[in-house]
Amino acid sequence: MTEERDTRLRDWLAAATGELDLRIAGVSRLSGGAIQQNWALEVECGGNLHRWVLRTDSPAVLAVSLPRAAEFALLRAAHDAGVTVPQPLFLCEDPDIIGAPFFVMRRVEGQAQGHRVVKDATLGGGRAALAAALGTELARIHRIRPPREDLAFLGDPPADAALAAIAAMRARLDAAGTPRPVLEWGLRAAELSAPPPVPPVLVHNDFRTGNLMLDASGVTAVLDWEFAAWGDGHADLGWLCAKCWRFGNIGQEAGGLGPRAALYAAYEAESGAPVEDARVRWWELMAHIRWAVIAADQAARHISGQERSLELALTGHIVPELEWEILNMLEEG
Amino acid sequence: MLEKPDGTDLLVTARQVVLNELLPALPPEKAFAARMVASAIAIALREQEASAFVPEMDLASLAREIRAGEHDPGTPRHPEVAMLLRQYARLRAAVSAPRVLRQG
Repeated sequence: MTEERDTRLRDWLAAATGELDLRIAGVSRLSGGAIQQNWALEVECGGNLHRWVLRTDSPAVLAVSLPRAAEFALLRAAHDAGVTVPQPLFLCEDPDIIGAPFFVMRRVEGQAQGHRVVKDATLGGGRAALAAALGTELARIHRIRPPREDLAFLGDPPADAALAAIAAMRARLDAAGTPRPVLEWGLRAAELSAPPPVPPVLVHNDFRTGNLMLDASGVTAVLDWEFAAWGDGHADLGWLCAKCWRFGNIGQEAGGLGPRAALYAAYEAESGAPVEDARVRWWELMAHIRWAVIAADQAARHISGQERSLELALTGHIVPELEWEILNMLEEG
Repeated sequence: MLEKPDGTDLLVTARQVVLNELLPALPPEKAFAARMVASAIAIALREQEASAFVPEMDLASLAREIRAGEHDPGTPRHPEVAMLLRQYARLRAAVSAPRVLRQG
């Protein structure tokens, strides 16, 4: 950040906190976030040092992600529902302070990086305990149900979340313009086997290894709420369990972190409702299709010149392995 | 005749320099970028090999037909299309992510 921007940010935070002597002792970019930027803030005020995170948009924003104000409201709703999230503190919708709207939340310690956390069997008190903790978190998220005035930006829930997901993927494929027969094959099979609708709940929609901050005691934060929507809670269980999100540790079916059975058992205990395994598996097929569509769209940002980046370019090359896995799933199923 | 070594040789050699000489000397926060460079070169090399085998297919029509249910289970061309897609997916994975083909 530039010096001028730091000054504007300091003044804004001083007004938001009411601490006129507030001083920003440090600003540094945190890792991760192709869509959002996260900055670590060290802030001194009232004689205390606060460790916060400032979250704002990257230059090229995916059209499907929610704006910062919405993400802030979701964090609040989740926090109130007992979900382990970083406590949301302040929202700034004025784009002129730092160049884009942002919000500030408490900084949480832990590890999130997918390739690292799947290798550490001690996180969360062991694999079964960690999978159980994830089940509890998800059940709490799914306790948030429509209608909710504070989450009105989510719109009306879809009449049928499964068919809506298929339609959304087809629309994105059409918008991208590249014919992808293998993904179409997967979508058609999904359409023919779609489970009947269930009452809608809040679906996080990116609840997976890499977006879960963990430490030795368990989950320290569920991150990245920008894709949340009303839908079928099994979609979250499927996204977490999908093989493509196990970071190579495929034997641990709950996100490469722990056993599926412990995840389901804790989810059922917290929610009081049974997990329908076949429904979760259906959403795992959709997870592979969705990740392929997202990966192709990310590569398109590089190809179009919107954001030239080797990382985005290589993300496109994940699509073929997802297609391969989709065909395997359909043959096994 | 163009001068030797050719593009393939140059890419193979450049990739070895990235992995064997640059990567160990880089600060840890740049290791990811170096691995991405090596990975991109590897994909480009495999693409050169595979490009001769890319089948002539009307992908747009095929995609449209599949979506319309014309190749659903029970239709005459279902087995043929299933096999075609598997071959097509195998070729694509062989370029972009050959390790998945080695996992049974």
